[in-house]
Amino acid sequence: MVKYTVEVSEQTFNQEVLEQQQPVLVDFWAAWCGPCQMIAPVVEDLAEEYKDRVKVVKVNVDQNRQLAVQFGVMSIPTLVLFKNGQEVDRLVGFMGKEQLKEKINQHLV
Amino acid sequence: MEEKIWDIAIIGCGPAGLSAAINARIRNREILIFGSEVCSPPLQKAPKIINYPGFPSITGEDLRQRFLDHAATLGIEITRKKIDSIYSLGNEFGLMSKQEMFRAKSVIITTGIVHPVYLPGEREFLGKGVGYCATCDGPFFRGKDVAIIAYNAEAEADARYLAEICQRVYYLPHYQEIGNLGPGVEVVNDKPKQILGEATVQGIQLEKGSIPVDGVFIVGAEVPPERLVPGVELVDGHYKVNRDMQTNIPGLFAAGDCTGRPYQLAKAVGEGQVAGLAASKYVADTAKIKSFKL
Repeated sequence: MVKYTVEVSEQTFNQEVLEQQQPVLVDFWAAWCGPCQMIAPVVEDLAEEYKDRVKVVKVNVDQNRQLAVQFGVMSIPTLVLFKNGQEVDRLVGFMGKEQLKEKINQHLV
Repeated sequence: MEEKIWDIAIIGCGPAGLSAAINARIRNREILIFGSEVCSPPLQKAPKIINYPGFPSITGEDLRQRFLDHAATLGIEITRKKIDSIYSLGNEFGLMSKQEMFRAKSVIITTGIVHPVYLPGEREFLGKGVGYCATCDGPFFRGKDVAIIAYNAEAEADARYLAEICQRVYYLPHYQEIGNLGPGVEVVNDKPKQILGEATVQGIQLEKGSIPVDGVFIVGAEVPPERLVPGVELVDGHYKVNRDMQTNIPGLFAAGDCTGRPYQLAKAVGEGQVAGLAASKYVADTAKIKSFKL
C-alpha cells in the first residue's frame, strides 16, 4: 500500500515542515496512545485526498520529545497545521474525517 | 485491538439499550452491550410504575429484572467495560475502553441522562495540561507535578502509573473507600474549584488553598456526549436524532433519555426498538454496498 504520510524527526522537521511552501499538517503521535492508532488511518486518507494541496507528516513524540516540548504538545493525538512555517491551527484529540476536512479547508482559501 | 467486528455495539443497558438489543438480536445481529454495574439505577429505584402498558403497578425493580431476563433468554451479552470514546472510522466504529479497543459496524448510544460538570479552566486548558487519559498523556509530564481529580476507583491505576514517572502526584478523590494508591501519591481531601494557568496549566485552586502543578488529569467523571463521540451533533446537550434515531454520523444511533424529553420508560423502549431496527438495517445495507463494490 502506498503511504502518503511522511515520518519526520527533530533532524528533518525544519526542512520537511517549516520551510515548505505548501501547508503542512503534522500528526503528533505515539505507539502507547490508543486514539492515535484510531486517527492514523484517517490521517492517511487525508494525506491521499489532499496530496497536491497539503503535505501530511507524522512526528513520533516518543522518539522526538524535543519537538513535542518545542510545540507545546501535552496531549496526543494533536494535529497542528503549519502555513509558511507558522502554526495556523491546532486540533487536540480524535476528530472524524469530515471534521478534519472542514478545519483544513478553512485554511486553503 | 480486538479483531472481531460486532454488528452493533450498544452503550448502556437501561430500557432503551435492552429494547434495542432485543430487537436487533431478533433480526439476527451480533451485538455487544457495554453496561454499567446496575442497568438503569432510575428504574431500579422507582417504587411503582403506573404508565407502562400491560403492567399496572409493577415496581421498577420487577420490570427491570424482566427486561434483563428477556435479554438473557436471547443470549445477549453485557460487558461491564466502560466506553470512554467512540470514533467513526468511515466503514466502522472504534470504541475505546481504557487502552482496549472494540470494533463495531454500527453503534447505538443509550446512556441515559448525563450531567457533565466542567471545572472552570478545564476546557480552556484541554491539551495544555488538562487531560483525561493518563496512559496517553502521562509521559508528557515526566519529572513534573500533576494532580488527579478522581471520580472513582479507576483513577487509582492511573495514580500508580503517574507516580512512577512524575515528581509529585496529588490525588483528589471524589469517592469513598480509596483503595491501593501505592507509594508516592499524596491524597488531598479538598474540592477543586478551578484549573489555573496562563498559556498552560500552572496549578489547581482548591476550596482551602491551591497546589502548583503542571498537569491535571480528570478520571472517571461522567463523559459528556461531545467527548464520548467527537463530531456528534447535539441539541440542548442531547443527541440530535432523526425519526430512525440516527445521529449526524452515519451508523451511529441514539435512543432513550439521552435524546431528550420526555424522560419516560415507554418512550425509551420505543426509541430503543426503532434504533435497534434501524441499526440492523444499516448493517445489512452497508454489507450490500460492500459486496456490490467487490
